[in-house]
Amino acid sequence: MTKWLEEHMPKLVLAPSFIVVLIFVYGFIAWTAWVSLTRSRLLPRYEIDGFIQYDRLFASPRWDTAFTNLFVFGFLFIVIAMILGLILAILLDQNIRTEGAIRTIYLYPMALSMIVTGTAWKWILNPGLGLEATVRGWGFEDFTFNWLVDPDMAIYTVVIAAIWQSSGFVMALFLAGLRSVDQEIIKAAQVDGIPTWRVYTAIIIPAMAPIFLSAFIVLSHLAIKSFDLVIALTGGGPGYATDLPATYMYTMAFSRGDIGQAASSAMIMMMVVFTIVVPYLYSELRTKDD
Amino acid sequence: MARAVTTNRKIITTAVAWTIALILFFPIFWTILTSFKTEAQAINDPPLFFNFDWTLENYAVVQERSDYMKFLWNSIIIAGGSTILGILIAIPAAWSMAFVPSVRTKDILLWMLSTKMLPAVGVLYPISLIFVEFNLLDTRLGLIVVLMLINLPIIVWMLYTYFREIPGEILEAARMDGATLRDEILYVLTPMAVPGIASTLLLNFILAWNEAFWTLNLTAANAAPLTAFIASYSSPEGLFFAKLSAASTMAIAPILILGWFSQKQLVRGLTFGAVK
Repeated sequence: MTKWLEEHMPKLVLAPSFIVVLIFVYGFIAWTAWVSLTRSRLLPRYEIDGFIQYDRLFASPRWDTAFTNLFVFGFLFIVIAMILGLILAILLDQNIRTEGAIRTIYLYPMALSMIVTGTAWKWILNPGLGLEATVRGWGFEDFTFNWLVDPDMAIYTVVIAAIWQSSGFVMALFLAGLRSVDQEIIKAAQVDGIPTWRVYTAIIIPAMAPIFLSAFIVLSHLAIKSFDLVIALTGGGPGYATDLPATYMYTMAFSRGDIGQAASSAMIMMMVVFTIVVPYLYSELRTKDD
Repeated sequence: MARAVTTNRKIITTAVAWTIALILFFPIFWTILTSFKTEAQAINDPPLFFNFDWTLENYAVVQERSDYMKFLWNSIIIAGGSTILGILIAIPAAWSMAFVPSVRTKDILLWMLSTKMLPAVGVLYPISLIFVEFNLLDTRLGLIVVLMLINLPIIVWMLYTYFREIPGEILEAARMDGATLRDEILYVLTPMAVPGIASTLLLNFILAWNEAFWTLNLTAANAAPLTAFIASYSSPEGLFFAKLSAASTMAIAPILILGWFSQKQLVRGLTFGAVK
């Protein structure tokens, strides 16, 4: 008995985590998938009724806005956060004094809840108070910055706040990547008189390709999960101009009493995540033999 | 890229880095500053920087109206409880993966992590149904369990990356000396992994502390933590910037202070162990 225990202990101690994840994630996803195929409204029903919820979803202009926003928001957020993060990482890599303190400050936005930091952002973005009022106070009377209340532009305020929150995090990832590049190659390049910008574009950045991939994965999953960002800044408004799929699903499930819509939108979100994450996992698994 | 740079350039880059740091810190700084203003001063045009009458009135009002201490206590219990519970479950799992790996270990790890990528909304409704069934709505216990489940894959993964840095020979030596499995984990592995466990604890405490999605959806009056407390100030009463700022400052202060005094763990934790 003791021998059996010793032998199987590794599997036994792994089991609780394994089972917990299995049931609480996959079990619930299966439930959501099932409900998305029913006519559930205020309470879940379990008679399968085809793809009616998906038809309703794709016919809904509100979902259309939310889904388009996801791609506008996701694309701008990921691209700009990566570029800014890389620039900040290169900056911090120049043997700066007090690097530790600066790094911590860069990371603070990521360590704080957007629900809380959203307070300041509401002030900054408020046309009557923050940036607009300040710049006008400097004498530029025609300056306008009213994106927060402009249905066409409000989604970009969410982009700005999201970049603020994450660029320090991307910086930290890239900084780790910069430090792991073989210093000998860089020295050799410098001895050969290659200009610094060429060293970065031709040697260092290509060597960091894996980090770019991880940063991309982390950022894209942040983008798809963005919920508190929108709730804190715009609440989805004006109207539903800044709705994202997560807030759409939330509204359907908890304010509209429309579980079927909530479930079908959740399923679409998950499919988007899978199309991004699965290729990544696949490539990870393929390289596991090294 | 460690290179010899001239002092002049070093000063300039340091100045640029600090300027960016100040810009990034501005929203946080402004929240703290606004919390000491009156409501009228908070929305003054042009904005007031330091030339206003500092007041603690907002803090008194916020505490009096909504009992900040109760929310703070809920936050501490929920974040602390879910973190400790998660660590207790994850340590054996991470030990198993790091020191007794099987062919499947990496698959299992990646699979666990992949679940973190799924949007939480997908499992929200079933969980809230279970909460209703077991009378867990608006209880701290319910939130502790849910937040633990949500963050478990990250805890397992982080502990695994730390454990892997510990040479397996040490564990073998302990085994040779007759240590049982329990001794091995308790007296050899855990003490050596303290820095890693500390980073993991800090990160998960922060994640749970900031958690808004689950806390907003699953609590009402009794178990609501600070995130719900802030949300309650921003919606129904219109925008009272000074009071909202005071409430926000009280919610972020513990993280700002905790983070400053454990910078290394904060950086390592937030980058999931990528930055050492």
